[in-house]
Amino acid sequence: MSLTSLTNKARTTIWSVLFVYALTVAVNLGEFWPFSIYPMFSQAGNPWSRSIVREVSPQDSISWEVTPLADVPHLPYGVRSGGVDPIDLANFVSKTEVWDRDRVAALSLMLLAEPPKEPLRLMVYRVRARLTEEDSVAITATPYVLVGTDLEPDIRHLNPELRP
Amino acid sequence: MTNSVTKQPIFGNLWDNLFGFDRPDSRGQRIFRRVFEVFIGAACIWLAWYWGEYTLRIGDIVLELGLARYIDISFMHGNQLPIWNAWLISGLIVLGFLRIHRWVPLGRWVYMVAFILLLFQYASRFVLGEIPHSSNLAGMGLLGFALAEVIFRDRTAGGRFAIGFSYFFIGLGYTSAAVSKLVARGLTWPDGRHLWMWINEKAVDEVARSGTVELNWLQQFAMDHWWAATLFLAFGLITEALAWLVWFRRTRYVAMWAVMALHMGIWVTMDILFALSVYEILLLGLPWAVFIDRLWPERGLAAQ
Repeated sequence: MSLTSLTNKARTTIWSVLFVYALTVAVNLGEFWPFSIYPMFSQAGNPWSRSIVREVSPQDSISWEVTPLADVPHLPYGVRSGGVDPIDLANFVSKTEVWDRDRVAALSLMLLAEPPKEPLRLMVYRVRARLTEEDSVAITATPYVLVGTDLEPDIRHLNPELRP
Repeated sequence: MTNSVTKQPIFGNLWDNLFGFDRPDSRGQRIFRRVFEVFIGAACIWLAWYWGEYTLRIGDIVLELGLARYIDISFMHGNQLPIWNAWLISGLIVLGFLRIHRWVPLGRWVYMVAFILLLFQYASRFVLGEIPHSSNLAGMGLLGFALAEVIFRDRTAGGRFAIGFSYFFIGLGYTSAAVSKLVARGLTWPDGRHLWMWINEKAVDEVARSGTVELNWLQQFAMDHWWAATLFLAFGLITEALAWLVWFRRTRYVAMWAVMALHMGIWVTMDILFALSVYEILLLGLPWAVFIDRLWPERGLAAQ
């Protein structure tokens, strides 16, 4: 096959893929794997929301108050031990609009899919941050939901302000 | 006496630069093409299993992405389908590498079918809100080899197309990332305070992941010095904005290593390692074929 013919084929293929690329990302909010407009980190300086988890003893009293991140009670717990990606957890918490029983059960399944031998109770916090006028970063944590190997998923274990 | 120096174009023809159809083939190029194909295949098999096993723990859909916006992807949840799909993708990729089309009609389509099945694997895995980009380059690499198998009968031309396809979309992707930043924030995007927000965000992710976190010295330095944080971000933005230079042979390796430095910077300051992308940049960011040809020249070519 001649050089021109090979180049024409390759060029036509690239243009065709580019057309599909543009079409799919345009009608899919910029994301149609593996096509993307790559918007990560574009929203610089905006407030953000993530999640952390604390291990709660059955004897602990439960508070639903918002606290500074440094003052969050209970024992540190890493979701890595349960094979969970913290970004999934953060998105699950921040993008859930209606917290019903199914959503609590799905969160419980995510965190406790590999249940430990000992009973385990976990409090999931939503962590929010924003830039202050004094050029510092203010971070607070809000308790969202309590899940556990000895707790049936239920909206009773939600922060009262989230209950439907 | 006349000066007959001919001016060489700085960049030359884009398509020649990308695909190298105008260049003689060599042992180094043949070996490199197969090594790159093995890398892309192995990466996609790993993704198929990693995503498949994670999908088993998904019980609800929070955010649909890609294919899941058109079809109800929940049929992949609550059963072993993701694992069967991973087996199928793995088998097809191995058959594609072995050039199954020599024995089976439509065998040229095996990479393409694997790519389509991987779309389902992705759509069923990423329904919890996360929108990852670390697997995009590997996915584009598989699409490149899939198109090469279907469109080019000649093996050499197909391999060259697949590699040029990856260069093209690497350049486009990183440049697109810079455009996204400039559209969203304009020239104030590199403000060092933005890096402070991300360092804190990733620190919270680490607390979520392992229970504790401690900033490294570079993160602490950036947190203590606004100008340093601003410089880091400015370097990243400029590197991305110039990433299209990987399309051209003369600037390719410098641009690829600038992108590599960008990834190292993201790793150190934000604790995010796009591992598959970094390995791919390492493969495409050095003239491995030239190294092989120098170390192990073909008979005939060596005598020239």
